[in-house]
Order: sequence, then structure tokens, then C-alpha cells
Amino acid sequence: MADSTMTLWQLAANQTAKVFGLAEAMSPEVASRLRQMGFYPGQSIHCLRRSPLQGPLVVQLGDCVYSLDKQVAEGIALHP
Amino acid sequence: MLAEHPSHLQSVKRHIILVGKPNSGKSLLFNQLTGLRQKVANFPGVTVELKSGQMGAFEVVDFPGTYSLSTLSRDEEIAIEKLNEAVNSDVTALLVCVLDATRLERSLVFAMQVQALAKQHGKAVVFVLNMIDEVRRFGHHIDTQALSKALGSPVFALSAKSLEGVHEFKQALPELVERADQLLPEHVSEDEISVIQRSQSLAQEFGIQTDVVLKRQNRIDAFLLNNMLGGVAFLAIMFLLFQSIFTWATPLMDGVEEGIGALASAVTGMIGPGMLTDFLNDAIFGGVGSFLVFVPQIMVLTFIIGVLEDSGYLARAALICHKPLSYFGLSGRSFIPYLSGHACAIPAIFAARTIESPRKRLITMMTIPLMSCSARLPVYALLIAVLIPEKVYFGGLIGLQGAAFFGLYFFGIIMALVVSALLNRFTRDNESLTDMPFILELPTYRLPHWKPLMHRVLNSGKQFIRRAAPVIFMVSLVIWFLGYFPQDQGLQNSYLGQLGHWIEPIFEPMGLDWRYGVAILMSFLAREVFVGALGTLFGIDGAEDNLVGLASQLQQDGLTLGAGIGLLLFYVVALQCVATVATLRGETGRSRIAWGLVLAYGVLAYIIAVTVNTVIG
Repeated sequence: MADSTMTLWQLAANQTAKVFGLAEAMSPEVASRLRQMGFYPGQSIHCLRRSPLQGPLVVQLGDCVYSLDKQVAEGIALHP
Repeated sequence: MLAEHPSHLQSVKRHIILVGKPNSGKSLLFNQLTGLRQKVANFPGVTVELKSGQMGAFEVVDFPGTYSLSTLSRDEEIAIEKLNEAVNSDVTALLVCVLDATRLERSLVFAMQVQALAKQHGKAVVFVLNMIDEVRRFGHHIDTQALSKALGSPVFALSAKSLEGVHEFKQALPELVERADQLLPEHVSEDEISVIQRSQSLAQEFGIQTDVVLKRQNRIDAFLLNNMLGGVAFLAIMFLLFQSIFTWATPLMDGVEEGIGALASAVTGMIGPGMLTDFLNDAIFGGVGSFLVFVPQIMVLTFIIGVLEDSGYLARAALICHKPLSYFGLSGRSFIPYLSGHACAIPAIFAARTIESPRKRLITMMTIPLMSCSARLPVYALLIAVLIPEKVYFGGLIGLQGAAFFGLYFFGIIMALVVSALLNRFTRDNESLTDMPFILELPTYRLPHWKPLMHRVLNSGKQFIRRAAPVIFMVSLVIWFLGYFPQDQGLQNSYLGQLGHWIEPIFEPMGLDWRYGVAILMSFLAREVFVGALGTLFGIDGAEDNLVGLASQLQQDGLTLGAGIGLLLFYVVALQCVATVATLRGETGRSRIAWGLVLAYGVLAYIIAVTVNTVIG
């Protein structure tokens, strides 16, 4: 099961996936904020761009565009 | 109880509270509702700014935009604490929650939290769907009556930008307040899951298709966030920013200078020669006046930062800077405090509160004073005018003086990055596990509206004068008295001259005489005092008409290039501002850090200045 899920950090540019859930290691405050921002199971997420040198990625989620760095993107699991 | 207007509230204007997410257009609506006069309340100890203005029988209070009612950063914590107090207060008549009609889902999550909070305290909420003109332009229609029914609170559609629906909303407000107790929703969503799910289904029913809304924004981002072009655009925008501080402001500054000159000759002409005229010329028009000349420059800088913020570019700049800044132990969010630091360190230190990581916040706050704030502008402008010839290249596009300005700002930034890297390297890191990670919303690109911008620009000028003028006036007064007496002995033999010669050895290695020494010491109160103090000193010493230009006086006096550049770099590095020290002490909670920085940056600045003076000569 763990092998088949990927994280948001692995999503390539111009690819779309669905949010699976948030990592358990994440603090409850951060997780709650992310859910309110739309990182909620089943939501469709589209990667708009990747930055060079492992810089933040840009995603479209619902009606918003967000920029996230590696640390947080690795805590967001996606449906394969 | 509220609808009955208790008699003890008759004298107090009842409050209408304005809340909304950042980028919902709330500030513009506030300006449209209240008109020109507004006051800004700062609470002692905290920095959450509450703007309030009059609208008929009501006072409208504008709360800072927050993403959620559950808090992550200290900044949000304080804003929400204040909001809770306000919702609880009897003076509050109604809450108005502003929603971005083009992004209904995210707006509704916040709106439902506000609705639940208001209901807890028996207060009614009215929802405003802002930017309804944009919704229509996308060919969409929102059924406000059905949405109002679904939410259980009144819904108004309007556009704060085009003013569509604003008049009707204003007219409806008194009646809404009157029957506020009948407007309480029957059902509110309390827990997070149901808020999220209800927002989602309501947005699907009433909102626009999101791809349509984000299409233009994404197309612009494809250029401005492009790996190559985006970087070039970023550098070009920053370079233009610093160029324009110099070139746009010059005609305005000349105007102010001429105005002061005309006023000076008119006033002193009426009084005739004597001690009073000397005093007015040297201390008032020479000292205080020479600092007023720089107010337009501060306003131009505030204007440009405001345009960048309101247009939506600032968030992109933070994104571009995130990776490079992370090498120095900073976050992309450090970019906004750093940029604001070029206007004034105090709001910049407060802006650092948005950095959720405590460690990165501390490092950012400690290095903000190295950003060239507007108080240094007078010093830079004066010394650059003395040292750098007024040459122009590429058909007026790039001036030598503007480039020198850019160089000084750049030097400050490099110093800040070096100090950040050192702090990051040599202090212990035990908090980074609990850090809030970097996540940033990229707002829609918008043409900034002139109204909130104008308020911001005027406020910057007003606050700068209010903060600095009393200090500069006092310093000018003291210097003038010490320099003028004993009378007719000349500056060299005055009380000030005697004091100055005593401290001269400290400033000799910098290539400066005692007059600069006095001005530098005085400017540890506030940097802009330097120009006023020199203006007063050279006014007493020089010819009777001291408004010919302090710059040419310094030139004739023979300030060497090495001493001048050393002095400029000294002002880049040294922490000379009592207000900044107090703010740092308050925000870090440790006075050791604040005074330690004064000492450390002071010693570093002195070493740099002496080195430059020795090398260039």
C-alpha cells in the first residue's frame, strides 16, 4: 500500500492527481490549515510548474494556485 | 438587546466590522465605504493595525485579512484575538464578511468560520460577494438569493472596484443593523470537516468553473515564473524600483526645496537680520527643512512597494527568492520583510511575524536593520550628490547616481545575507522540526486601485514626519544653541566646537572632522538627523544663504572620496535608530539581542569605514 502511493513532491509538471491524505508526522495545526486550503482527500491537484534546484513547486488546487516547498509537498500523499 | 439601542451606547458610534481573506478586495471596499478620512489604531505592544472610518451613523472597522480563524503564526493569533474581542463587544452592531466571488470555495471556508463565531456571540453576519463584475465577464451568474438561503445570512453582490452595487449595499446597511437579531442563521457548520464539505458543494452549485478564472493568471505566470525570463524580469523590476526612487522623486524634491527656500526668504525678510533670523535660517529651515526635502522619496518608495503588493507580484517574488534565500537559512517569506525594510525597519520587523518558523523569523529580524531604510535615503542622497558626478548613460536610462544608489542597497542586502548565513551556521537549530513549511497562495494579477494606494503613500509620509520631526527639531535646536554661543566667536570656538574637538580622534581614522563626528553621534537617535545636523552646522559656519544646497557646501569643504564612501558604507551597516532598537527588543523579547546588534553593527561599520578610507585615501 505504502509503495503504491506517491507524494505531491513526485508529481511532475503538467500532471494531475487526486489528494489521498496528509502525513501523520505533520503537526495538527499545519494539517488543519492545509485541509482548509483545499488539501482534502479526493480533491484534484494539478502541477503547474517545477522550479530548478529543488525549489518550490506550483500547483493548482480547486480555485487557488499555491506554491509549496519540498518539506510540505512530501507530507501530502496522492492517489497513484 | 443590541437592536434596542441601550441608552449608554447612544454616545458611541456603533461599529460595523469588516473581515475577509487576504486578496478578497476588503481594503478597497473599506475605502469605498468610508471615503477619505480614516484613522489607524495601533494597540500598545501589538502591531495589528485596525483601520476605522466613518460611514453615516456607523464606524466601519477594517480587520487585517486572515486565511482562517484557527491560527498558525503570531500575527494571525493577535488579529484573531482582537476579532474575538470585537465580536464579543456590545458596540459591534454587525459583521460584514467579504468574499472573492471568483473563488467561492476558499472564501466560503473562511465565511462559515466567521458565521459560526458570530452566532456564538449572538451577532449577525452579512456576506459580500466582491468582484461580481469579473464573474459576469466570465459569463457566469451567481444566484445571490439562493446562496443567501443556503447560507442562512444575507448575501450582497457588488464590485468595490467598479462601484457596482456599493451604493445599494451602503443604503441597506442601517436597515440590516436595525433587524440584526432576526438575521441570525438557524444552522451553522462548526466542525472543520462539515465546513470544508459544505463549501465544496456550495461552490460547485454557485461558483464559476475554476479553470476559466485561473487561465489568465497562469498564462502570466508562465512568463513571470519562467526559469530564465522570470529571473530576468525579477532583476529588472528591482533595478527599476531603485532607479525610480531617485529619478521620479527628483522633481518633487526640487519642488519641496524651492518651497522651503521661498518660505525662508519670505519669513526672514519680514523679520530682518538678527539672532532670530539666524536661528530660523540655520535651525528651522536649514535643519528641519533639509530633512523634509526627502519625504517625497519615501512616498515614491512606498508607492512602488504598494503597486508590487497590490498587483500580486510580491507573492511571485517570494516564490522566486525562496530557494536562494534558503541557502542563507532564510525563507521566501523573508523577502517581504526585507523589501519592506527598504522603507522602514519597524514595519518590516513586524512583517517578519508572518514567517512561521521561529528560527528563520529571528534571523530575518536580526538582519532587517541592514536593509537600507528610507531614513538612510537623505544621507545617501546627500553624500552621493557630493561624491558622484551627475552622468547619464543609454539615453537617460541609467544614471551614475542611480547606479551608486543601487550599489549601496545591494551592499546592505549582501551584508544581511552574509550575517544570516553566519547566524544560521553558528547558532543551534533545535526548532526546525516544528517549523511551518513554506506554502504560499499566488493571488490573481490585478491592476492596483489608486485609493488604498494613495492612503498608504500619504500615511507613509505622515508617519515619517511625525516620528522623525520632533527628534530632528530637538537636535537641530540643541546643536544650534551649542554652536551659536558664545556669540560671535565662530563655530570653532563655540561650545559645540569645544565638545567636537574632544571627540575628533575617534573620527579621524574615518577621514572626517569633528563636524561630521557630531552629526554621526547625533544620528544614533535616528539616521535622518545626520542631514539636519550637518545642515545646521554648515549653516552656522557658512555663508548667510545656506539653502544654496548643502551638497555643494560639502563639496567646497573638501570631503575626500575615500572618507565619503567610507561614511556611506558606515551608514549602510550601523544600526542607528532608537525606534528600531525598541522594536527589536519587543519582538525578540530579549534586550540583549537588540543592544548586542547596535554594538556589533556599530563596530563592523566603523571597521569598514576606516578600511575604505585607508585604502582609497
